[in-house]
This record gives sequence, structure tokens and C-alpha cells, in this order.
Amino acid sequence: MSGTVRQEGGYAIVCLDGEIDLHSSPEARKLILGCLQEGKPTLVDLASVAYIDSSGVASLVEGFQLARQRRLDFGLVGVSPAALNVLKLARLDKVFPLYASVRDRLG
Amino acid sequence: MTERGTLANLKPTDLPAPPQEAIGIVRACAHSDITSKRLAEIVTHNAVLTAELLRIVNSAFFGFRAKATSAAHAVTLLGQRALRNLALCVAMRDALRPDAIPGLDMAAYWEQALRRAVAARCLSQVARLNGEDCFTAGLLQDFGLLVMLYIDQDRAGEWRRLAEADPDERYALEQSLFQTTHDHVGGALAVAWELPPELRQVMAAHHSLRDIDTAETQVLCKLAQCADWMAAVFTAADKRPVIRRCHQLLQDYFGLTAEQSNDLLDEVAQGIGAAGTAMGLSVGAQITLADVLREANLQLVEDNLSYQELTWRLEQALAERDRIAAELNRELELAREVQRSLMPRDSDGQGCSGAGIHGVNTAARELSGDFYDYFPTRNGQIHFCIADVSGKGMNAALLMAKVSSLFRCLAKNVADPAALLTMLNREIVETSVRGMFVTMIGGRYDPRTGQVWLANAGHLPALYMPTLAPMQELPADAPPLGVLADVQFVTQELNLAGGALYLYTDGLIEARMPSGDELGIAGLKALLRKHADVPTVQRARRLLDAVRDAEIRDDLTLLMIDSQGLSHDLSGSTGS
Repeated sequence: MSGTVRQEGGYAIVCLDGEIDLHSSPEARKLILGCLQEGKPTLVDLASVAYIDSSGVASLVEGFQLARQRRLDFGLVGVSPAALNVLKLARLDKVFPLYASVRDRLG
Repeated sequence: MTERGTLANLKPTDLPAPPQEAIGIVRACAHSDITSKRLAEIVTHNAVLTAELLRIVNSAFFGFRAKATSAAHAVTLLGQRALRNLALCVAMRDALRPDAIPGLDMAAYWEQALRRAVAARCLSQVARLNGEDCFTAGLLQDFGLLVMLYIDQDRAGEWRRLAEADPDERYALEQSLFQTTHDHVGGALAVAWELPPELRQVMAAHHSLRDIDTAETQVLCKLAQCADWMAAVFTAADKRPVIRRCHQLLQDYFGLTAEQSNDLLDEVAQGIGAAGTAMGLSVGAQITLADVLREANLQLVEDNLSYQELTWRLEQALAERDRIAAELNRELELAREVQRSLMPRDSDGQGCSGAGIHGVNTAARELSGDFYDYFPTRNGQIHFCIADVSGKGMNAALLMAKVSSLFRCLAKNVADPAALLTMLNREIVETSVRGMFVTMIGGRYDPRTGQVWLANAGHLPALYMPTLAPMQELPADAPPLGVLADVQFVTQELNLAGGALYLYTDGLIEARMPSGDELGIAGLKALLRKHADVPTVQRARRLLDAVRDAEIRDDLTLLMIDSQGLSHDLSGSTGS
């Protein structure tokens, strides 16, 4: 997995790609929580995620929970079919705000 | 004083002025037709030089056959070449006054030079070269260093470091301090001062051994190199490697054994006092080779001691690591045992023998994040659940223990699966860390009627296989436990009617089959259909066998409820 963070329209956009598993999820977690701890509304771009396991999903859940606690906007963007399938099976597609693209959210 | 850095671009005008008297003698000797009488006249012209030469010639160190009483006699005794050499030594010695370089102990420099000179003279017989030629070469080979310190006087304070370094270290140190080295500067000076060609080459090439005219000068340069290392045996801070290098060079260049080399080194230590007297140079108290070897051996013993200590410490550290690893393994095994105890044991059937309910769990790691459970209620029904904690390892196992305990505890009082999951969810949301969540199917089964009530919190769809109709998926209708506090779970109800219900975790459907594909839900369905007719325990074994060669990257859990199990196995008992 590799991850980058960019700023756009007052949002932090965390872009993750590759496989988010037990080994790489701590890095994903660090990026996501880092943005929220700075008080930035955050979108996580999952367009290039080939695989995500439960530890990766837990990183997203933790981001979601922290954002709610801090009343910051949080959402997932352009979720890849592989990631979407995992979220749908767990009904988490009803929990996370999902957007087709960053533009879709920022308008 | 010249600015630092100009040493690298040395100009003749930067060099100290040559000693004219000595240069006169050198020039005169260069003419092969000069008479001894004429040479004596030139020497006599300088009373100081004459006195110096007579003292040297008559010294115990040089030990010439007869005592010279006049310059003319000295010329006859020495011959032109030896006279020239000794005149040069005196001239170079005096070229820079003792206080020419403030902060530099000039006597210390000359003592080192003298040690090289004595070493070179000791080697002369082995090398079949003239003793005085060798002495002169040894005395003057590093004169370039003195010139560098003279030009860049700010560096005089570095003398101690230079003096304690071995020849290679000193060479590198010069390069970093002066951006040039003594052989380059010495070579330039030898040209400017019109020193004899072989001496010029020794000064310029005793490190590189390159651009040397004759075989004899080549030997002289090698000899100078050896003399440098021999002298360093007595001055270098770390003596052992220097002795080793010295032995190696003497063997390579002159075929000497270590013992022969040590004899020569001994000779150097013993000869330096007399050489100092002969040359009018003051030398301090000298250490003998025995002292040097003792010091080197001491160092060896110290090194060996620290090596032994290091080995001992390493062994201790490894033993400690093994001890901790063994302890950790024991702890893990204990944790695994506790974890196993949280799941039903096949042997006792949890009071559900013959109810057609059976589960298996294999952990991808030592500890599992999956679990399943079932146990009878007072009214003959059975509570069951399957769950998968996000992540793996110890934190997943701890949460698993908590959830399974809560399930057992709550199920005794809460019959409705949705209500039970709601309570569990609130508890987990309140206490869960790091976004950890639990997917779970909790339910109740009545083996007498085949009726099942279940609620699915984000878990993979349960598979219902009726006796005749196609298999049905019962997907989750709510997210996992621990994500959101206010979730509405829904109890689904169905009757197995002779069919079977299968609950499983993602480890099973993500098992990568030898074909490279994941088993998937479709693959699982196919396997279940294939083995539908065998009793539950064997069915579970066959399913595990089918994925045995697969690459399992997660915990693998399967729970099955077969309503046929009642008629198959429940001949004498209906549970509790």
C-alpha cells in the first residue's frame, strides 16, 4: 500500500492504493487520524484499493468515529469495486458517507 | 605566512630558502672530475659545517675506520658521495631554525626523522645499498611534512595527531589537513633545491613507488617505505597493526622473516641514541622493542578480553531472548487454551449432542479473532453465534473473549437475537478502541421444530440449504458491532424444514485454492452441496480437507446447523 495526503477545498484528501491489510493498515490509520487530529474534514480516496481486510476497514471506522466525535466531515471517495464489495457485505456502505469523487463532495 | 590552500598549488617562492653552503657541496660532488683537494677546500670554507662533519665522521654511530682530523682527511675517508650525503643531512637539519614554526616541537620532528634514518641504515645491508645513502634517504624522506607545516603554520597544533598516526593514516590526515601530501611537497622542494636525483625520487615516490628511474632507486624507495613503518612501530598509538604491516612489507620487499624483522627493529631502538649524538639531534628516552611488543600483547589481551566479554554478553542476550520467547510461547499457548475453552468442545457437545449443530475453528495465527458458540437454553432451544473480530492477534483475541462472554451472559436472559445484538453493540461501542469492530450472527434454534431466529451484524451472509430448493443467502441488514451506537438490528426467522444452515467467516471464503482463485461464496456453496449427505462432523472435516492445500491468510471458522441431525443422531436425547 502507499498513501498520500493532499489539501483541496479546505479538506484533507487521503489517497490510499494497493492492498490495505494487517501490515499496511497502521500506515493508513496514521494518515487518516493525522488529518482529523489537525482538525481537517477528511475524505479517503479508495479508488485504487485492490484489497482491504478487516484491519483496514477498522482504520476507516476509527477515522469515522473520531470525525463524529470532533464534528468533522468524513467520507470515502471513489471506492473501488473490491473495497465496495467488502463494505457492502458488512453493511458499512450504509455507515460511511460515500462519494463518487472529491468533486462530488466539494461541489 | 601563506594562505591555507595554496599548498596544493605550490610555487617555488613559497618554499623556504635552500641552505647555500650545502647546496654548493652537492653541486661540486655532482661533477665527477672534482678533486678531493678542491672538495676539501669547499668544506673548509665553512667552519661550522667542517666541525659538524668531523663530529659525524668520528662518531661511534658511523664508525669509520680512522679518526678524521681535518676536512681533507674526512673527504678522503668518506669519499665524495658520503661526504655529500652527510653535508646534506646537516644542511637540511639546519634549513629551518628550531623556532621557524611556532607551536611545533622541531626536536620531536627530527627525532622521528632520525628514527627513519636509523631504520633505513639498518636495512641497507639487507638491501645491498650504501649505508649513508640509506641514512640520508631516511632522514630526509618526510622533509615535505616539515615544509607543509612551515607554509601552513596554523596546522602546527596537528603535529601530535600526525606523529601518532601510522604512515598510511598520516598520509590521509595530511590530505585532509593540507589538501596535499608530504611526498608532493618534498618532491617539489627537492627539485627547487636541486637535490641529488635519487634523493629527489625518494622524497617524491617513497609512498607511490612510481616514476622511478633506476632499479637501485626503486629499492631505495622501498627501503624508505619500510623505514617509515619501522619507525612508526615505536611511535604509533596502535602498535599491533603497525608491527603486522611492518613484518609484511619487510617480507614482501626483502624476504625477511618476522624474527629477522624484529632483530632489525631492536637494532633501530638501540641505535637511535648514538645516531642522535652523531647528528647533534637531541632524542628523548627510547622504548625498546620489548616494550613495544609487551604493549602490543597487552592490547591483544585486552582485545581478547573484550571479545570474550562480548561473546559472553551475546550468549547471555540470546539466552534471555530464548527465555522470553519460551515464556511468550507458554503465555500464547495458555491464551490459546483459554480461547479454545470459550468455544464448544466437540467431545461434550455442550449439552447439544444430537442436535445437528457442529463447529470448527482453526486460527491462522496463534490466537484467533474468530469464534463461534452454542449452548442450550432451559426450554430446549439452542443459542448460537459466529463472530469475527477485525484485525488479528492478541488485541483481536481479547475483544473476542469479551464478546463471547457477553454473548453467553446476555443470551441467558435475552431471547430475541436483535435485542441481544443491540445490547452487545452498545457495550462494544462504548469500550472498543482503534476502530475495532465485530461482525456477528447471533441466533436461536429450536431443534424440535427446525425454527431459527437470527440477526446479522455486518457478518457474511448465512447460507440456508433447503432439502430441495436452491440455496439461499441471508445477508446482513445492519453494520458490525462497535461501529455505531444507535443501530437497529432485525431478527430474521426461518424454518430449516430438514435443511441446513451454514455460518462461516471470511477465512473460509478467502482461502486461496491451488488454482489461484479464492474459494468464494459460490465455491463454498458447491462444496456444501457436494458433501450435503454426510453427517455434520464428517462434513466439516471434508470441507476443511477441501481447502487444506489452499493458502489460508485468516482465521477459518464454520458453524453448521443441520435439522436432519435431529433424526440422524438424536435417538436418546433432546439435549437439556
